[in-house]
Amino acid sequence: MDRNPDQVIRRQDVARPLAAPGPKLRPVAPAGTVECGGCGRRFGEQRFEKHLRVCPHCGRHAAVPATTRAGQLADPGSLGVVRMDVGDRDPLGFNDGVPYPSRIAQARERTHLQETFVIARAAIAAVPVVLACMDFGFLGGSLGSGAGEQFARGCELAVAEGRGLVAVCTSGGARMQEGIVSLAQMARCSAGVVAVSRAGLPHISVLADPCFGGVTASFAVQADVILAEPRARIGFAGGRVIEQATYDRLPDGFQTAEFLLAHGMVDAVVERGVLRDTVASLLTAFRGSR
Amino acid sequence: MSVSTETAERERTAFAAVELARNPGRPRALQVISEAFTEWTEMRGDRLFGDDRAVVGGPALLGNRWVMVIGQEKGTDAISRAVHNFGMPHPEGYRKAQRLMRTAEKFAMPVVCLVDTPAAHAGVAAEERGQAWAIAETLMTMLQLRVPVVSTVLSEGGSGGALALAVADRVLALENAVYTVAPPETCAAILYRDAGQRARAAAALRPGVDTAYEIGLVDELIPEPTPGAHAHPTVTVAALRGAIVRHLDELCTVDVDTLVQRRAARYRAAGG
Ligand SMILES: [Zn+2]
Repeated sequence: MDRNPDQVIRRQDVARPLAAPGPKLRPVAPAGTVECGGCGRRFGEQRFEKHLRVCPHCGRHAAVPATTRAGQLADPGSLGVVRMDVGDRDPLGFNDGVPYPSRIAQARERTHLQETFVIARAAIAAVPVVLACMDFGFLGGSLGSGAGEQFARGCELAVAEGRGLVAVCTSGGARMQEGIVSLAQMARCSAGVVAVSRAGLPHISVLADPCFGGVTASFAVQADVILAEPRARIGFAGGRVIEQATYDRLPDGFQTAEFLLAHGMVDAVVERGVLRDTVASLLTAFRGSR
Repeated sequence: MSVSTETAERERTAFAAVELARNPGRPRALQVISEAFTEWTEMRGDRLFGDDRAVVGGPALLGNRWVMVIGQEKGTDAISRAVHNFGMPHPEGYRKAQRLMRTAEKFAMPVVCLVDTPAAHAGVAAEERGQAWAIAETLMTMLQLRVPVVSTVLSEGGSGGALALAVADRVLALENAVYTVAPPETCAAILYRDAGQRARAAAALRPGVDTAYEIGLVDELIPEPTPGAHAHPTVTVAALRGAIVRHLDELCTVDVDTLVQRRAARYRAAGG
């Protein structure tokens, strides 16, 4: 669900439909600007992308669409997105004013993705991997049966081809509209991780802002190594839920990547600029030892 | 009936079912342990931080078979509910469960889980000590456990906090129990941004265990005497005991590699 939207890059999302109708209507201004959700400064979109969507001024790590993320991590020229038709799913016939299948259709149109995950073959430092990148823009990166199927097939691909698994996780948690079916996806994805683990293949998880609920409580933290992006909010229950349920005062920095590092829950907090190299070093080390 | 009256009626019925599942007179894990099992010895503590009373467990005899029973306990009165934190485990509860599962595996004892939680505990301490990590690791443990596992949802199976003890070769549920991705209040807060719309969420998300049965996440519904297990808990426990014994009898004849493979395949396919 999109209860935790970062609201960082909305300007660009707005700019796209304007540009969409055709070359004739292209605005005079270059492709658009991006406003940092941290310091409020504006940058040209190209400059921002070159900085991997990290603010050059304050260092805030903005959300990265899954396809872009896969491109950031893969060796140049090595990326091959795996086309996956996971079908249309609506196990409960859910309708909250807008039928759930329409919400999916809208998300597909907006993101040009089938579902929450982008699954791709790639090489990182020449080590063959399967990349499983989540897109927070697809219904808040929520985990439904379509996404569960994508991840499970990604794991099977890794096992079949002897590839490592690198998952970039960002999600509000379970896809509520699928009810109990979404809960079952935690077990389905875990079964995928078990298969990768049993095959002796490396599994690296990157936690990006935000990552909560059933995603954190399953494949996001079942990896050999867990990396987190700076300031990413990561946890099981959301901070607001905790405040309301327990009247606990939330400690400073609660549920940030740095907080989890201090509590021994993640291996490292890694700036996006060195994320690829860090993943590469780990993959090289794990391959070298075999 | 007008459409809006019909909708209101459906929501009322759906939430009444949730309230029936929450009836405090329903059999709790410790009652099931004392009535269906003998020779129970409690094992406590996660050997890492503490002992979570929301999860209880230890070896016990079920008929003439030694099993490891692990249950989420909600408590039965004001004091025991507080002691057991209303059945909402902290990470220690899940890590204790993992420890007991490993012990069960060492001694080739089947594992019997009793699921009874509205949700895993949401709190600062639980987050600091890795609630998500504890649940995720329990899922991995259960998927790979080399002994038969039978889990039963007693009243509420809510969120990953319930699923963590419900990855099993056979999942049973008392017929008036609910099994949900999150309590209806939480679902309403997320879907409609208003926890007060819990009846609407209950109607939309069909939390009854029959839904979980339809999608194959639950294998058998244990009938309850009218008007529900709370009226005749002992009769209900006896019926549940019979079902658990029957499933264990079947599972104990299956070669353990086949068992683990089938469990993995089952959850690989979960939810279609
Ligand atoms: Zn900035």
